[in-house]
Amino acid sequence: MSTSTPVRESQLSTALARDRLGVAAVVFFVMSAAAPLTVVAGVVPTGLAVTGLTAISIAFLAVALVLAVFAVGYVAMSRHIANAGAFYAYIARGLGRPLGVGAAWVALLAYNSFQIASYGGFGAIATPLFADWFGVDLPWWGIALVAWALVAVLGVRDVAVNGKVLATLLVAEIVLVVIFSFADMLSADFAASSAPLDPGSLVGTGAGALLVMAVTGFVGFEQSVVFSEESRDPRRTVPRATYIAVALIAVLYAFSAWAMISAAGDKAVERAGAEGPELFFNLASDRLGGTALHLGHALFLTSLIAAMISFHNIIARYTFSLGREGVLPRAFGRTVPATGAPKNGSLAQSALGLIAIGIYALAGWDPLVQMFFWGGTTGGIGVLLLITVTSVAVIGYFARHPEGEDAWHRVGAPLLGTVLLLVVTYLALTNIAVLFGVEPGSTLTWAVPLAYALLTLAGVAWALILRRTRPQVYAGIGMGARSAGTGFSFRDATSEAQP
Amino acid sequence: MATIPLPLGDDLYLCAHDAPRGRCLLTPATLGLGLAAALLGELVLWRRLDLRDNHMTVIDDRATGDPATTAVLGQLMRESHHRRLRDWISFLATGVATELVERRLARAGLIRREEKRGLLGTKVRFVPTDDSVAGWPGTRIRIAATRGELLDSPDLVLTGLVLATGLDQHVLVTLEAGERDHLYDQLRRRMPAMLQHLVGHAEAAVGDAVMARRA
Repeated sequence: MSTSTPVRESQLSTALARDRLGVAAVVFFVMSAAAPLTVVAGVVPTGLAVTGLTAISIAFLAVALVLAVFAVGYVAMSRHIANAGAFYAYIARGLGRPLGVGAAWVALLAYNSFQIASYGGFGAIATPLFADWFGVDLPWWGIALVAWALVAVLGVRDVAVNGKVLATLLVAEIVLVVIFSFADMLSADFAASSAPLDPGSLVGTGAGALLVMAVTGFVGFEQSVVFSEESRDPRRTVPRATYIAVALIAVLYAFSAWAMISAAGDKAVERAGAEGPELFFNLASDRLGGTALHLGHALFLTSLIAAMISFHNIIARYTFSLGREGVLPRAFGRTVPATGAPKNGSLAQSALGLIAIGIYALAGWDPLVQMFFWGGTTGGIGVLLLITVTSVAVIGYFARHPEGEDAWHRVGAPLLGTVLLLVVTYLALTNIAVLFGVEPGSTLTWAVPLAYALLTLAGVAWALILRRTRPQVYAGIGMGARSAGTGFSFRDATSEAQP
Repeated sequence: MATIPLPLGDDLYLCAHDAPRGRCLLTPATLGLGLAAALLGELVLWRRLDLRDNHMTVIDDRATGDPATTAVLGQLMRESHHRRLRDWISFLATGVATELVERRLARAGLIRREEKRGLLGTKVRFVPTDDSVAGWPGTRIRIAATRGELLDSPDLVLTGLVLATGLDQHVLVTLEAGERDHLYDQLRRRMPAMLQHLVGHAEAAVGDAVMARRA
């Protein structure tokens, strides 16, 4: 290298390197999408109540291990393809474009489920807090609508939460989770419980439910590869950041869940049912006092809002790239020129959110269990399916393009990861009734997998139609907004008349 | 003044600023990408540069007689180990292209520096000296499209970059379907392949910036 580089430093290299991201920046981004406090105080107690299962800590650790193995091949492949960060891009390149479109649609449903879940969660969690703080008794959907409106306006104007604000919130969240967990350990009823860490539970009944709950906690880790091209050293920055984020999340969640369940003693499941997300705060409050409790609650709400905004932006951009490709209507590939906001993708997401809040409000369904938890786990199942198929796609891709990666990255890790993920998926789908806390055979247990199956089939069919009618669009599937030749208006204008 | 043909970059810059207030219609990042591609397009039109896929070749290193493109050409010669088109678009878009074009327009007296004192220091920006100048390149394309006239190569690239940057939502919004079809048809059939290629890369770079939250 040094022989070919001129003595004078290249202005081009310097200018392009200036904006490059380091490990810490990527870890921050990934962890803020994962929203630690939302998972620890929201998902874990609700999951305890709904499923009655306590072995959640070991599930977090097991899923972290599986995801770390999966990430080896995933991150390696991200260096070779355009539009890294979208699962369907991997699937389109590894297993063919039709399945790629199916995956793209599955991902849309899964991500939207998370977003809709967060509206319900925010409403359910904020309602008692607002009553406590301000003495106002608002319906949950009223509060959810306010949060929705905020997200919708910021989304269409593309106001991202400032990076520094997000980082501060994230650090505060993590510090708070750690302090509260230590406070749990000092509480009167604390008795170190082995139940949360019992490896036997990973093969017992309900194992699949635990694993899906754990997967839900990690969603967002897949976004690390978005920065492949923006990182200082794609070979090291992104893999390191991914492993660090997965490890940090796993340790934090496993520890806090263990502390919470240990502090609640034998009554963990009953108390989770009665107190919901308050369990996390109640257990620690006798040691920490009221101020810490209020601070914790406030941070809980801000963390949910930050998660909503960043997730909304992820969905809007995802829709944007599908619009640019022509897989979704071209209008979704539009931005507001003055802001660069992916306007139509954002508006569509907001419309969907409004409809969902409206339906739940009119039907009188429970925002915490039926919207927040069911929505989150529905999304979790979708992401688990996507990760599993992506893992297969990585093997498929490297079988045809073995250049530049060693056997462990190409074959070893992806094969191992695929086998593990297939087991997890099998357990998840067979335990789906436990996961949702419903009777086996009830509507939800088959409706969710069926919805994903139908979307996949519809996507495959749409891809095959595109292959016949618009071969240029078909050829660009999986390339996202990134590569020349698949753009929106100009390419569209110049390719329309061709057969 | 408006009838003298301006360089591609100047045309795009003026297109991107609304006439009455001189406000920029694009984000700085998108404007930078458009102008970067425009300057490279000028070098292709000057027959100094060839483009193939993502690769560029300098075919003639003589100065162009225009300071902005000569500066880019000089940089290209100095950094001969960098020849990827997308890298150059990204590099020039970091502010280099915008500054070169602004300097050229200011020298021609078409825009002027305006300082605005605010609470947090002084903001410097450039505004068109004349309303009609700012709107003219867009109007020219619109008139040609309505009359069904043929555009020359620079104006075809300009139209392409207007589409690539999303400026068409301002510039071409009043066109009727038939006029639009005629315009697109010209882009398809009459724009040199090398320049089509350049615009395609510019558009991909704009999409990229949106995805990476840089737009």
